[in-house]
Amino acid sequence: MIIVGMADSAVAKKPAKLTTLGLGSCVGISLYDKSTGVGGMVHIMLPSIENARAKDNIAKFADTGIPALLDEMTEKGAYKHRTTAKIAGGASMFSFNSNAQLNIGERNIAATKEALKQLKIPIVAEDTGQNYGRTIVLDTENGELTVKSALKGIKVY
Amino acid sequence: MKHKISSLSELQVSALREIVNIGVGNAVTSLSKMIETGVKIEVPDFKVELIENVPEVLGGAANVVSGVIMQVAGDVDGYIIMMLPEDAAQTICQIITNEDNVDILTPLNQSILEEVGHILAGSYVSSLSDFLGLNIKISTPMQTFDMLGAIIDQILIEMSQKVEHALLFDTMFILQGNRTDGFFLTMFDPDSMDKILDRIDKMI
Repeated sequence: MIIVGMADSAVAKKPAKLTTLGLGSCVGISLYDKSTGVGGMVHIMLPSIENARAKDNIAKFADTGIPALLDEMTEKGAYKHRTTAKIAGGASMFSFNSNAQLNIGERNIAATKEALKQLKIPIVAEDTGQNYGRTIVLDTENGELTVKSALKGIKVY
Repeated sequence: MKHKISSLSELQVSALREIVNIGVGNAVTSLSKMIETGVKIEVPDFKVELIENVPEVLGGAANVVSGVIMQVAGDVDGYIIMMLPEDAAQTICQIITNEDNVDILTPLNQSILEEVGHILAGSYVSSLSDFLGLNIKISTPMQTFDMLGAIIDQILIEMSQKVEHALLFDTMFILQGNRTDGFFLTMFDPDSMDKILDRIDKMI
């Protein structure tokens, strides 16, 4: 099992499994090309690199992390036009009464969808929003994405 | 920020540690009185970590805990988070309700945990306030039982828009007789850290 940390990404070929743990407002994006068994996962924290002060880690942002993940997958043999996406996370765990954080979870989901649309990668499954954390596991053997939560059980997409 | 957190002097670090220690010490005394059980604390651990690494440093993003989050406002901004593993949360609810085998997810027990977090953070913050001569207030608490990573990522996201590193003060406390522990995590905004360090520099 390959663990993808926060603001981190990884690519693997079957029969490997990729996982990222405890997604709250962050979004976990898993890409998969069934024809070659190449899968990738990125755990983004923010929608865009544009206004960020620290731009060193491109895996932190939806608009840079997702294209970079796809590039790495195609380098490892995946076909871009056969790659599909499954996404999870983007919850709103707490709502503090300050307006500083205009629902970051929703913004992360929107930016993720926009980045995938630009790359013409279809989203085939989505488990997003609400107010609870998620751990996801991508099985590169068959492309299944398992979404686990503390109290809401396990779902397989 | 003016003060570089990666190059704080030893004196600054030990002053910070001492302040947090006194604050958490006061908080834990309140807890001890409330649940009529001895509670010990460990000397706070002071860490400067890359934001991305924080969940791992705190014991792993997938770890399921009861978390109470409070926003800090006034002269300084930040967050105080109390995290308890399930058994510690259960122990506290059992002692307060005087019942066995409580379910920590009932609304009553959720609000007990919320209130415990609030009381602890309140006495912690009032001691920081007195010591530093700053006006520090806390928001109403929010409690949830979920994965550690999910509980704190919203806060880490907010911080990551300003800085790359987070300053963590984490203090373990141990409920005697139950061998269970929890911790208090304090994170300040970089500008707030500047204010706190300025006060400390004037004292030492």
